[in-house]
Amino acid sequence: MTAVATTARRSIPGAPSMWFFVIGDLIIFGCYFVAYMYYRGQDHTLFLHSQARLNLDIGAINTIVLITSSLFVALGTAAARAGTVTDAVRLFGIGLGFGAAFPLLKLFEYVPEIVGGVTPGTNLFFMFYFVMTGMHLCHVLLGLVVISFVIRNLRTAPTPNISLAETGATYWHMVDLLWLVLFALLYLMR
Amino acid sequence: MKSKKRDQWIAFWMVPAFFNVFGLVFVPLSWMMPPRSPNAPEPQMISFMQSHNLLIACALLTLVYGFAPVGNSIYLIQIKRMSVSPVFRYTLMVGSITGAIVGMLFPMFCFGLGAFRSGYRPSILLMLYDFGYLAFIGSLGCFCIMWMAFALAIILDQNNVLPKWLGYYTLWQYVTELMAAPVWISKSGPFAWNGLMTFWFAMALYVPWQIIVYVCIYRSIKNQPDDELESAWLHQTSPATDVRPKATA
Repeated sequence: MTAVATTARRSIPGAPSMWFFVIGDLIIFGCYFVAYMYYRGQDHTLFLHSQARLNLDIGAINTIVLITSSLFVALGTAAARAGTVTDAVRLFGIGLGFGAAFPLLKLFEYVPEIVGGVTPGTNLFFMFYFVMTGMHLCHVLLGLVVISFVIRNLRTAPTPNISLAETGATYWHMVDLLWLVLFALLYLMR
Repeated sequence: MKSKKRDQWIAFWMVPAFFNVFGLVFVPLSWMMPPRSPNAPEPQMISFMQSHNLLIACALLTLVYGFAPVGNSIYLIQIKRMSVSPVFRYTLMVGSITGAIVGMLFPMFCFGLGAFRSGYRPSILLMLYDFGYLAFIGSLGCFCIMWMAFALAIILDQNNVLPKWLGYYTLWQYVTELMAAPVWISKSGPFAWNGLMTFWFAMALYVPWQIIVYVCIYRSIKNQPDDELESAWLHQTSPATDVRPKATA
């Protein structure tokens, strides 16, 4: 196990192609952030008034949920590297649980908004809001699938694939990072 | 010795030829692209919809459009080499067919129809104009699933036919189709069909991808061993046994 851990340490963690994806994805989201800031500057009052209609509580809870999930995934990766597979499975499992709470909470946020007449068509702020959080939500759902694969591999494979666990964790941290920026831009910035 | 991959090369070079015609027709001939505003003033919209060049452009595209299936075959041949389920190949095949009908033929008919006969009422022309652009830019589902199938096939493949990062890049291709969804809601601003986020940003991702994917496929065809070719039986020297492959999926 230690041999596996040391080999994994020598190169970048996880599959290199995943790093290509992560960096590219950050650039794509970055373009959205810049565009959002630009259009926000064009109509500051509209964005500020619309922002006040968002559910800050659920947004904040979701932030904590994702950060906690990321922490457990990081601990799980460390456990997998150290060779304590049972711990790794448990930690990834808790991470998955917290991660799965995110879309559920998002549902409690979206549904009252849409029922209350706030849709992407309402104004430019809500278009940005729904497009960016929607794209992020797709990333979260994909991440949950990836983490499930990591758990399955840890549980069933005779020699767990550490690189896969690292790849999954890398992706999951990116999802977390994107949400932190989104939360700041959409919910908090005055 | 003659190339055993001549069929693939013909299909391959069909693509740049096809895209050049595409570009010429869309931009300098008809100014269909970059997309006009959904809020264009009525006289401007009418003069565009009834311009003679638009009719020529649509007729030309409807004709050369037949080359698209030939070009698409290079994707399918390469996916067949991958260690993935044939479902991916069929999904890409049918996705590109249905996608092209809605995203390509529908707009050509809408724009061509407007230019075909003079005297249509402005409201009818406006509807054709909306129909044309929405079908062209907002035809999401088929292309979406098609790129998703291509991306997954590359990522899951264990024969390394195409590089893994290309698979991830193709995933963004799928995302650009989703990015265009707001064109059904917005009539102006960055999310309208001529908007910064729906059209220009998607283009900025798409154009380099299209070029890179063809470079990768070029290398993939070049590196394909001759005896692995599907048409290898054609070049077999001893016709003693029937080496033709049986019909397989």
